[in-house]
Formats: sequence, structure tokens, C-alpha cells
Amino acid sequence: MHKRNRIFITISLIYGMLGGLIALTRLIDPNLIPGNVPRAHGHIMLLGFFLMFIYGVGLHVLPRFSGFPLYSERMANWQLYSANAGLPIMVAGWLAMINWLVLIGGIVSYAAIVMFGVNMLLTVKAKGPGR
Amino acid sequence: MKIELLVSDWCQSCHQAEKIWREVVEEKDVEFAVLDMSQPEGKALVSQLRLKTIPALVIDGELKGIGVQSLAEARSLVEAAPSKAKSDMQHAGISLSTDNRYFAIASMIYLMLSGMGLIINGALLSDGPARPVALHLFTVGFVLSLIYALGAHMLPRFTGNPIQMGKWPWAQMGLLHLGLLGYVAGYLVGLHVIIVAGGVFIWLSLFVFSLRIWPVLWPKASNNDSKIIDLVSQ
Repeated sequence: MHKRNRIFITISLIYGMLGGLIALTRLIDPNLIPGNVPRAHGHIMLLGFFLMFIYGVGLHVLPRFSGFPLYSERMANWQLYSANAGLPIMVAGWLAMINWLVLIGGIVSYAAIVMFGVNMLLTVKAKGPGR
Repeated sequence: MKIELLVSDWCQSCHQAEKIWREVVEEKDVEFAVLDMSQPEGKALVSQLRLKTIPALVIDGELKGIGVQSLAEARSLVEAAPSKAKSDMQHAGISLSTDNRYFAIASMIYLMLSGMGLIINGALLSDGPARPVALHLFTVGFVLSLIYALGAHMLPRFTGNPIQMGKWPWAQMGLLHLGLLGYVAGYLVGLHVIIVAGGVFIWLSLFVFSLRIWPVLWPKASNNDSKIIDLVSQ
């Protein structure tokens, strides 16, 4: 398994535990962490845990199951950087209640989503002889 | 000693052969590879040995058997290999292990439970006080259980590394169900302390899962015992 994909899954587990801890802290004392904690928790779990787990597994299995190599390793590497830059910025924006920071984080996170989507489409897509 | 078992997902007797060989390689310190005939490594072996039937057993590069060996036959073939120290670390097979089957079953039950909101509220998530209940039945009950089932099955196969078994998957499962049901019950009866306890148990189940998955993704450099290479691990 490619190191990048293992990193995706490892980071997803870390986000899962971090997101859980934030929710637990909020449950125990709602005033301990400032800002929009439920939204931060929800996005850490969805974008950080679930989606990064899917990124790691998907980048490994979809090329194999489709019978062709990944369309772009470089794009997948940038997807890793982008996903892991965008989410912390978004979360920081919610906790600090700074909307423009949330927007920037959202754009960077979305860039990772688009890179994954395009890379997978071009990998799985049937085209040309033998495809 | 290097043992290669040539199989295919569609071959029913291959599952039986793999089950027997996995049992044997847990006892012996051997290198064990399960190769799918549709993948490059399997194709190379088919071509090299001109194999026409699966499951085929190759030991140290020589064809030693066709079809399913009995447990006694398999043990006698690896008699010369040294015994392996007992460990909870196990390799994943083609089929789901019992714990992963239960995680998958639980996942489907939680999906049906969370989907009841569609009938009760006309939406998956209502805006009422029960919103966290439906939300967590879906995300924790359905999605997380499915991640547990598939992750613990696929990642050891993708990486070729063993996963912590024994009591650990059952501890993870107990914590998940206790946590989620506690969390839901806490919301429904309005007891905050039960909600918190439920959340702690869910978090602990994720922690146990992470501890089990970590050595699968990042094995110790010295861990070279009974390496299993799977069709999708390369």
C-alpha cells in the first residue's frame, strides 16, 4: 500500500479521536472550548475521519479494481496536502468565529475533494483500446 | 520456507484451502503468500508453473498440491518448518472474520434504526431534541461499524500485515454498542451523565480500533514473521 494512502488512513484515525475528544469536552463543559464546537466536531468527523479514510482506501482499491494505475500520483499527493491544510483552517475559523477563515478552509478542502473526484473519474473511466 | 497458495475470489474451494492454510501458518514460522490468479503476481506463477487448476499449492517454487488439502496433510507439508510463538496478531483471509461479520451486521441494523426517522419525522434528521440520536445512529452505528468491519478486513490484506485479534475486536465491539446505546438512551431519558458515558465508550472503541490498525499500517521493521502477500497488497 502506497505510503501516502497509509498516511491518509493514519490521519483519519487521529482526526476521529480528536473530533471525539472535542465532542466529549463539549458534553462535559459547554464553555470549555469557545466557538461553534458542534460544527467543528461534525466536520472533523466527516471530512477528517470518514472522508480521509475513504481517500486512503479509495486511492488504493479503485485503481486496482478498475484494472488500471492511478491517473495521477501527483494529484493524489496534492490532495493529501490540500485536505490536511483546509480542514484545520476551517476548524480554526469556527472556533475563532472568523468567517473568512472558514471560507478559505472550505475552498482548500473542496480542492482536495475535486482532485480526488477528477483523479478517480479519469482512473476508472473506460477510454481507448483496452479500456 | 515459502508457501504460495494460488486462488481466486470466485473459486469456492479456494476459500476452504485458504482457511486451512491460514490455520497452519499461524502455527509455523513460514512465509505465506495468497496470490490471486487474476493479479500480476498470480499470473506470473500460473505462467511459470503452467498451472491449469486452482487452488494450487506451491512450496519453495515447486508445485506441491492441487485442490484442498486436509489440515493433517497441510501440517505434514510444513513439518520441517520451525514453530511460531503464539500471538494475537493474525492475517486476514479472503472471507470476513467472525468479528467483522458482526460489525457489518450491526452496521445494517443501525442503518435501519436510523432510517426510521424517515417514517417518523419525514426526514432522516429531525430538528427536535432527538436529532443527535438519529445522527449518531447513522454516523456511529452505521458508518463507523462499517468502517470497523471493512477496515479491519481490508487493510491487513492491502498491506500484507497482521492485525491484533483475540479479545481486542470484541472489546472494540462491546465498547461501541455499549457507548452508542448508552448515548441514545441518555438522550431519550434526558440523563446527561449517561450521554457522556456513552460518548466516552464510543471514543474508547475508536481508540482500540486505532491501536489495532496502527501496526497494520506501520509495522515494526523487525516484524518479518510469516509475511503474507495478498493480491491487492502490492
